[in-house]
Parts: sequence; C-alpha cells; structure tokens
Amino acid sequence: MKKIEAIIQPSRFDSVKDALREIGVEGMTVIEVRGHGRQKGHTETYRGREYTVDLLPKVKLEMVLPDRLAESVVETILKTAKTGKIGDGKIFISTVNEAIRIRNDERGEGAL
Amino acid sequence: MTERSRLLPVLTAECEERRNRIRSAFQSDGKAGETLRALCALADATALRVLEGFLPPGPASSGLCLLALGGYGRGVLFPFSDLDLLFVFANADAEARLRPAISDFSRTLWDLGFRVSSAGRTIEECKRIEEDNAEFHLALLDRRFLAGDQEFFQRLNEHVLPASENRAREFLFMQLKSLTQERHARYGDTIFHLEPNVKEAPGGLRDLHAATWVEQVVRLRNGGGNRESTPGEASGTAEEFLSAVRCFLHYRNGRNDNALSYELQAVAAERSLGWAEGEAAPREAADWMRVYFRHARTLNRRLLDSLEEHDNTRLSLGKRIAALATRGRSLILARAGRLEITSEFPLRTREDAFSLLNEAARRGMPLGREAERSVGIAWKAGVSGNGAKTWQQFREILGAPYPAVALRSMHRLGLLADILPEFRSIDSLVIRDFYHRYTVDEHTLRTIEHLQELAQPRDERGAHFTDLWKSVERRELLILALLLHDVGKGMPDPNHVTGSLEALDAAAARLHLEPDEKEETGFLIGHHLDMSATLLRRDIFDPETITAFGNTVATPERLGRLCLLTYADIHAVNPEALTPWKAEMLWQLLAATSNHLSRSVDRDRLHAVREAAFLDEVLRCSGGTTRAEIEAFLEGFPRRYLAVHTAAEIATHFALAKKLTAGSVQTELKPARHTYTLTLLAQDRPRLFATIAGVLAGWGMNIIKADAFANAAGVVLDTFQFGDLHRTLELNPSESERLRLSFAEIISGKAPLEPLLKSRLHAAQERAPKVAVPTRIRFDDDSSSRCTLLEILTQDRPGLLHEIGSVLAQLGCNIEVALIDTEGQKAIDVFYLTQNGAKLSPELQHRIATEFWGRI
Repeated sequence: MKKIEAIIQPSRFDSVKDALREIGVEGMTVIEVRGHGRQKGHTETYRGREYTVDLLPKVKLEMVLPDRLAESVVETILKTAKTGKIGDGKIFISTVNEAIRIRNDERGEGAL
Repeated sequence: MTERSRLLPVLTAECEERRNRIRSAFQSDGKAGETLRALCALADATALRVLEGFLPPGPASSGLCLLALGGYGRGVLFPFSDLDLLFVFANADAEARLRPAISDFSRTLWDLGFRVSSAGRTIEECKRIEEDNAEFHLALLDRRFLAGDQEFFQRLNEHVLPASENRAREFLFMQLKSLTQERHARYGDTIFHLEPNVKEAPGGLRDLHAATWVEQVVRLRNGGGNRESTPGEASGTAEEFLSAVRCFLHYRNGRNDNALSYELQAVAAERSLGWAEGEAAPREAADWMRVYFRHARTLNRRLLDSLEEHDNTRLSLGKRIAALATRGRSLILARAGRLEITSEFPLRTREDAFSLLNEAARRGMPLGREAERSVGIAWKAGVSGNGAKTWQQFREILGAPYPAVALRSMHRLGLLADILPEFRSIDSLVIRDFYHRYTVDEHTLRTIEHLQELAQPRDERGAHFTDLWKSVERRELLILALLLHDVGKGMPDPNHVTGSLEALDAAAARLHLEPDEKEETGFLIGHHLDMSATLLRRDIFDPETITAFGNTVATPERLGRLCLLTYADIHAVNPEALTPWKAEMLWQLLAATSNHLSRSVDRDRLHAVREAAFLDEVLRCSGGTTRAEIEAFLEGFPRRYLAVHTAAEIATHFALAKKLTAGSVQTELKPARHTYTLTLLAQDRPRLFATIAGVLAGWGMNIIKADAFANAAGVVLDTFQFGDLHRTLELNPSESERLRLSFAEIISGKAPLEPLLKSRLHAAQERAPKVAVPTRIRFDDDSSSRCTLLEILTQDRPGLLHEIGSVLAQLGCNIEVALIDTEGQKAIDVFYLTQNGAKLSPELQHRIATEFWGRI
C-alpha cells in the first residue's frame, strides 16, 4: 500500500477531486493548510495596514491506496493540478505497512 | 427455584407479546399518546409483579415506597426510554434491610427489557436540597406513587417533599434556566437543525418538559401545589406530533436514539407521521420538516416565554428598570437586558411598533416578551402604510448596528413576511444536503447576526472584517440583499439566484425602492456566490484573477459589501464552514482587489463610442441633446466614473458641463440621509482640488469621501461627500445658496479663502483626536503607466485635504485622479499625480514626503 500526500493550489482542488473520482478514487482526507516552498511571500499594504503574505494557502490531500493504483493517481494529480507556475505544489509518496479498520479490525487492503 | 427464575420466563413472554401489540398499533395508526400510555401501563404492571415477587406487601416491605419519576412519572414512556424509579425508605435501617431485594428487582426488570434507572433516598435525605443534582429534584416534581406503604407516601407527598421544594423553588428556577441555556447552547441556540434531536435540541420535547417544570415551580412560588399543568392547544398538538416522531425513531433505531436523520425524515414523510387519518399530509420530506419546525417553534417559544415571564432576577433598581427613550406616546424601558414598554403607554400604531423595533436594532437589545407581544398587536391593529413609507421605516432597522435583533422578533411575529412576503417561501425550508446545517430562514437570519457580531468579533476569523463592517456604506442594502439572497431556494426555478432576483423585483416595486437601491441590492444578490467561487476556484494570487474580479465589482464600496455578504454567507452555513483558512483567503482577496481598484483607475479610460448601451441610457435621461455631445463629454474619464455614477447622475453632470464657460464653476448640492454630496465641474486649473477642500473645511464641513476625475477635454469633475457637523445647511436652508456662491467666488479668485479657513481651523485644532492614527506615506510608480500614485494614511482632521492639496499644488503636481476615503478617524487618500505630463521624479517624491512629514 502507498500513502500519497499532495499539496496543491486551492483553485485546482475541485478539478483534482473530480479527476480522481473518475479513476475510481473516492476516499481521501482534505486539509486546508498554509505554507511556502520556493514561492516566497511578499509584503503588501491594505488601507495603510502592512501585512506579509508569507504562508500561502494550499490544500493537502492524503490518501492510502493499493500499490497498483498509486501510479495512475499520481499521474492524474500531476496532470490536473499543474498550471506551470511556481506554487503548483508537490506530491509525496510513501509505503504504508498496515491499514486497520477500527470498526471491525479488518486489516490490509480490505480496510482501505 | 428462585423467585427470579420463576418470574422471568413468564413475564418475558408476556412483555414481548404486549410490546409487539403496542408497536403494531403505533405502526398502523401512528397515535403516540396511546402508545406511550400503553407502554407506561405495561411497565407499571410488570414492575408491580416483580416487586411483589421479591417484597410481598405487608411487614416485609414496610417503611418503603416506590415512585415513578420524570416522563414515566407523568404516565408516558417511550419505547426505549429509561424507567426512572425512586425508592424512599423510612430510615437507614429499612434501606439496609431492603437493598438486596431491590437489587434483585432491578436486575429482573433489566432482563425483561426495561432500562431501569433507580435511585434510593431515606425520608431524611428527601428533606435536603441536592444542589449538585437539580435534575433529580426536577424529575421528582413529576412523581407518581407506584407501590409500597400508602401512608408513608402520603406523608412524603403532602409534607416532606412540598416543604423542601418550597425552600428550593428559586434554586430550581435558576437551575432550570441555566440547564436550558446550556442545553440550547449545545445545539447552537436554534431549533432549525437539518437533522434535529427531537428530545434535547431547542424545540424538542425537553423544552416542553422544562416549560411544565417552570410552571410547577411558579405554582410553588405562589403557594399552590406542584401538579396538573395543562398545555395550551398548540402545545398539545405539537407534543403529540413530536411524541409520534420520537416514538417512531425509537422503533426504527431499536434504541433511545432521538436524532431525526435525513433518511428517517423521508420515511416519516412517506408515512405521513404525525397526521390524523384522512388529513392531507405532505409526502415530501422538506415539506414535512417544515411542519416539524413549526411545532418545534411552538414548544421552544412556550419555554422561553415561560422562563422570561417568571424570571425574578434580582437586580438593583437602577439596573432592573431604566427609562431609555420615549417614542410617540410610549416610554421604552430596559429590564434585565431586554426592552419593555409600560402598560400605561401601550403601542398603538405601526409607527410605534417600528419605533420600538428600531430601538432594539439600534441598541442591540432584544424585545421582552410583553414588548414583543405589543408589537404584534399594534402591527395587526395598525393600518398598513404605503410601500414607500414602510421602506423608509424598515430601512432604518436594516441600517442600524444590530438589525438581526429586531429581525428575529419580526420573523417570530410574522411581520417580516408581511413586509417581504417573498420571505415566506423559505420559512422553515430545509435544504437536504450535508453541508447546510440550518433551514434557509435560519441561515438567512444567522448571516445578519454574524455581521453584527463583527463589532466585537468572537474569534480571529472576524478580526479582519471589523473595520469593514463598521464603515460599510449603505448597510441597509447589504442587509436587504442578505434577507433576499436565498429566497429563490423556495421557488420553482432551479437557479435560486434567478428566483431571488425576481423576489427583489417584486419587493422593490411594492416598497418603492429607488432605482439605485434596487440596482445595488440586485448586484449583491446576483453576485452573492462570486466571491466565494473566486477564492475557492481561482488563484487569488494571479493578477488576472484580481483584475477580472475587480472588473465585476467595479467600486471599493461594492467590494466591501460583497465581501461582508460572502463572509456572513459562508459563516452561517454551519459553525465549521468558515475556517480561519477561508477567512484569511477572503480577506486577501478583498485586500488585493481593493488595491487593484485604487491603483488601476487611470489604466482604463472611457472611449464613449464603445459604450453604446450606456450612452443610450444617458441620452434618454438628458433629453434635447445629441449623442455626439455626450460622447465628447464622456471621452477620457476613467471607467470608474461610470461605475460610481448612475446614468441619471451623468446626465445631470452633462447638463452642468454644458453651462460651463471659461473661468466659471458649476455646482450641484444634494442632501442624502446623513450627508451631502457636492458635485463641482470646472475647467482644470492649479490648486482647484485644494481650494474646494478648503472651502468645505472653512464652512466646517467634514469631508467623508471624494473623487476627482478629468475628461479628455480638461473638464474636472469633483464629487465630495461631506457631513454637516454643525447642521448649518439643515437649519438654515438659505446657506446652501451661500455655500455655492462661496465656491464660485473663491475658485474664480474673486474672494480669498484664508479668512474663511483661519477662524474655523483655529477652533478645530484645539480638540485632541480620539484615536491616534500613525501617518503612512507611500509612492508607487508601478501601478500606473502615466502617473505616480501617492497613498497617504493619516489622522483625519479638519482642513487635512486642503493642506495635502496645497502641498501638492505648491510643488507643481497635477492631480489626475483623487480617491479620498475615511474610516472612523483614519483618512485614506490616493492621488494619481503627474508633473508636466510625466511621473514624479524620485527627488520630487522625496520633497513631497519631507513636506508632509513636517505638516501632518
């Protein structure tokens, strides 16, 4: 099993979610996050108030999948979340040793 | 063979058989009352037989009596409710002797499927008030004798318990009040949940029980007994309906689960649950839920009225009753945080009703029960005024700092739907999705409550929007837009925005809204989803997104209103919908768009020939002129000029421009509700802006906003919105003409400005500012291709704008565009400047800054 964490632009979230649903991925955890990588912040003023936009809003998707689905999910996210600009986000893939459904103790891929 | 093993097989079969019969009867006729009484009778009979098995009547059970409490005490028992029992012992010895048998009794009832919740007290203990267990005392108010020593019970019931209850009556009342507040708060203080808990939520059966307890406690206060509370007819129907629903839920869920889920709402509606046979019942879940909410509202109201009516909270005299104001014949009082009126001066007319509601909206103080009732009576008795008059009065409420306080009362009394019949379409309307927590009318009122809370935001989410709410212009139109923004959800058109706009058409015609009021409200309704769609589905850090969104809203005033509407609309969907993350994104979109609007004014100039539709409209308003003349007048104005003025206003400006001759000045002075608007046209000349600002300051006028634009022909059009602090113009109508004359003479150089300014500013400078605002000066050479932008933020004070304009004129700067705004004590000014047709040099910028630092 693989865990995929994707940090994407909020504006791409609906498209990514729809594209993932089309390839059969229904379940995911969505977290509203703030952060920055190379897309550095900047200082702005609004009616005389100065503020720094250093942590930009992003959406983080987390999903654990059977190995066979991982590659197509990554491709789908890459294709749908890409705008070609700095700040499009990142995808992290890691291996998951075990999954357990709390309700009935079911283990492995069946618990996903 | 033990008694237990003898009783269990026989009673298990009997209980099962009787329970099945009761259940079948409920499923066929849906009559809750009979079901609950039958279940209670089954519990009574079973309890008695089991008790006799372990404690036969006679010496063995002397010194004991068994009472039923709570709902079971009232003679009703839901299928999976607890069986609340109390064993009362004559003394501690009796308790020790009888405990083992009672334990067997309870276990056996458990095994027979009864959820026994039993307690034991000696008679001495019954004399004490358990301050940490108010629920027990309240349940005891509904006591019923089941078994045991009759004489013992009589002593308990007629002497011991009444004495302790009498001592505890104030404690019980206060506990009831706080328990109710805590319970209601757990459910967001609203009955309108999309999946309500029919027992515990506001409007649930617990409200009815609590209201009955309040009435019992009050009878104790008044020296009467604690029994026999009779519900009113509406409460009785509501009780029967909600009881049927709770019974149905218990049977469907197989446990004491009182949550009315979506799925079960559909099943209940399909079965016409709560309706007598032959009645035309709604089969759609949403319609059925509307009926549910109406009944819930009845029960909730009964409890709240009861609590308020009998609340004897002891306040000092000064705090308890304070005369606030007189309105017409009525004297308005504040009593325990609510508005009341005296019976000597009742409300008589709709004007009186509006006055009291307006007072509530102004002070943020809800109406007391009697005051609300009086408003309802005065409204019904009063003659309905014409639409324009109604709007005039309603607008006052909508524009007040706490409109929702009055709107809540108006909704409860049906007044809101009288003024806006369109609102009826969303009364108790359920939106069956998993996102919206509340019914549409509740969502709508909550949006307005979230806005008024911005005056003192409860958490970080609102902090950015506080100033915006305090300074928002035309607040009444924002609130009207919120009242109507979702009424389309109760209409047949699948696009609710279309329905809501149709509702506005009808409301605007009936209430005689001014065309610009309707247009502004229509804009907010028509675009009420745009800002949230932009922040969630577009990249708000992309300048193109900001430009496109900026073009949609066109003016900072509209942007502010749309932003507040969006904040409130997201916030009122459910308590978690507006995350700090979304609030931050919304604020950043506001800031970026606001900056875009103030920094891009000269990018987009009008070329009148491209504005065919708008030109037609101006032409229609002008009359007797040619299209070419209007085209020539409009050519070269920033596009923002069209955004901030209506076609009729532009036609007026055009008429003024036609009268303009070399050296002359044309002015128009229009009073608004609390301010005046001065429009002034003149051929461009040095120091023009500074002089106009100086004349206004010299007359003691407080400039709130100003725009200065110029067209390609060099005609300057300045608009100043100002407040008349000393009411000079209002109290002396002839002064308006003198002010206009003053402009003409001073601008044309026939009279000096200085003497006028000197005396006025000298007096004003002695007053210290209420809030210190630090000065910020910023130059921006990037936003405009032709001009340097100067942004000044500083402490507002009389004569400030004249002083800034004078410095700029003195240093040879030409003001191409000026955008002047104030926010409380803060002046926020943006100038588009050139010198000899080019941007300002860095040296000149430095000189301007140095000059300003020296003066402001």
